[in-house]
Amino acid sequence: MHDEPLLNVSNLTVNLLTAKSALRPVDDVSYSVRQGECLAIVGESGSGKTVMNFAPLGLMPTGVTTMLSGSVKLEGRELIGLPEAEIQKLRGKSVGFIFQDPMSALNPVRRIGRQIAEMAELHLDMTPSAAEARALELVKLVGISDPMARLRQYPHELSGGLRQRIVIAIALAGEPKLLIADEPTTALDVTVQAQILRLLKDVQRRLNMAMVLITHDMGVVAGAADNIVVMYAARAAECGPVDKVLVSPRHPYTRGLINAIPRREDPIGSEFRGLPGIPPTLGAPIKGCALQPRCELAVPACGNSRPPLVRSDDSAVLVACPVVNQGKAAA
Amino acid sequence: MIHFISKRLKHSLVLLFMASLVCFTLVVSAPGNVAVLIAELRGAVATPGYVEQVEEEIGLNKPLLMRYVDWLGDAVRGDFGISYRTGQDVSADLANRMLVTGTLIAGSAVIATLISLALGFLGAFWPYRLPDRVSRGLALLGASTPTFFVGALMIYAFSVTFQLLPSFGFDGPKSWILPWLTIAVLPAAVLSRVVRVGLEEAMVSPFVLTAKSKGLGRTAILFREALPNITPIFINALGTQVGLMTATAIIVEPLFAWQGVGDYFLAGVRFRDFMVVQACLLIFLTFFIVVNLIVDLAVLLTDPRIRRQWS
Repeated sequence: MHDEPLLNVSNLTVNLLTAKSALRPVDDVSYSVRQGECLAIVGESGSGKTVMNFAPLGLMPTGVTTMLSGSVKLEGRELIGLPEAEIQKLRGKSVGFIFQDPMSALNPVRRIGRQIAEMAELHLDMTPSAAEARALELVKLVGISDPMARLRQYPHELSGGLRQRIVIAIALAGEPKLLIADEPTTALDVTVQAQILRLLKDVQRRLNMAMVLITHDMGVVAGAADNIVVMYAARAAECGPVDKVLVSPRHPYTRGLINAIPRREDPIGSEFRGLPGIPPTLGAPIKGCALQPRCELAVPACGNSRPPLVRSDDSAVLVACPVVNQGKAAA
Repeated sequence: MIHFISKRLKHSLVLLFMASLVCFTLVVSAPGNVAVLIAELRGAVATPGYVEQVEEEIGLNKPLLMRYVDWLGDAVRGDFGISYRTGQDVSADLANRMLVTGTLIAGSAVIATLISLALGFLGAFWPYRLPDRVSRGLALLGASTPTFFVGALMIYAFSVTFQLLPSFGFDGPKSWILPWLTIAVLPAAVLSRVVRVGLEEAMVSPFVLTAKSKGLGRTAILFREALPNITPIFINALGTQVGLMTATAIIVEPLFAWQGVGDYFLAGVRFRDFMVVQACLLIFLTFFIVVNLIVDLAVLLTDPRIRRQWS
């Protein structure tokens, strides 16, 4: 039982149907997170990292038909095919969510205390007064000064960093086992980003939760995560322990991402090193490797079939690149 | 808060003063001479001499500015003068009629609020499905049917055909129902769209995603998260509609043979009874301004973001 991951996603594919178009933002992706572990999911905008985590838990906008295949197991329980009423019970209770923009994630006309306390009423069967006490506890836990006064305030009276702390308090209020944080520091001031990240990391360790950290910031990954999944165009390009993947990236896309981080020794005024080209649209299925048009290693064979995620020379790291994997086979 | 109220009160007073000027000017510049009518009413032949005598008697020969100052001075003290037609005290006539019209408008406002919230929620709960389409259809029908026709239909249906409710005059509490409904139809239709559209807008905002992630169900989200957000908008729209109900009362009161301010106003206009017309106009305008003041305060109480600007 201890060995079973808290969240186990295997071969997850998500298809979205809107009135006008069909998309496949997640294509056959697998990953898992254990209790007390932090998994970073990295990729550029539109690579499917948010949809991958939100869709199985029913957090998709209305008007979009979501079709899931594969398997998503939370504490051994299959989520795909579960009716919405059952999934609703898991949200907040088993899984807490943290969103990108704390400026809009809170209801502007409700007191902060109520927005936290209702979680305790809903999931921990607390009376309103017990829930208020719990809210106070949580506000202290996320390191907010003058907690009593904060509970009576409205969101617009707080700064972005404080609001994100409130969002974290809400996510923790139901005592979830898994925390899904969708770019929790992206919308914040640089000076506040580090504080919020430290706080997240700290509560995750203290409460021994599992955390999925969705981000495009490699600095965030290095500081917080145990494992990493690099997403490109709806697929996983590379995954493995953070220390291994960041130190010696194997997939050309991962290398490109890490290479794109500005370095201290870069001369002032030098150009940013980006990947040439733009990511493919997700409308049409891609036959071969999605990175081929932008890849420095590409050979004609890359366009033939989708490269499978294969164990590299380090058995903990999986890479989906035919050239890299071939090199390994040749060596 | 106190600062806000005192500022708004000052605005309202200035507005009222300007409104009184407009009232007076409009009525004075209307064509026709009331002195001739009064002379005829007294059974005398309206010879130029007699008409002049009447004019002097009721103060029509004084300069306009004097007449305005006299009238306003009395009006501020609650004295609206004597009706040219009946010779009765206008203030005394109005006291009873204001109670009637006030009850009419208050009841209609409550009914319009309830109906519009019900229709709006129905539509927002099942967007683009049958209940939404029915709600939208009813709103369109209600907003595009003239009030006098709605009233006639109500009388035909509930009084003539089913004989459930009295068709005119005051005959117990049941008599209120038809006039209330008649006045409420148009505002209910307009407000139901405000509710429906406001809720839909609120339901796609990011904080609703947060609410969903908390494990709240759709009903809880609609009532706890979306409703408080549309309350200020709704109160604003309701205020406008309640203000406009004075105009509807002018149509509906005669229809049901009710003796309210609207009915009094209409009778005054027919006879060029300046005193009555001026008094009614001023009351309508005061009502409008007071309603707006209440709306501003209510919005202040329901929207913490606006409250903060004034605290």
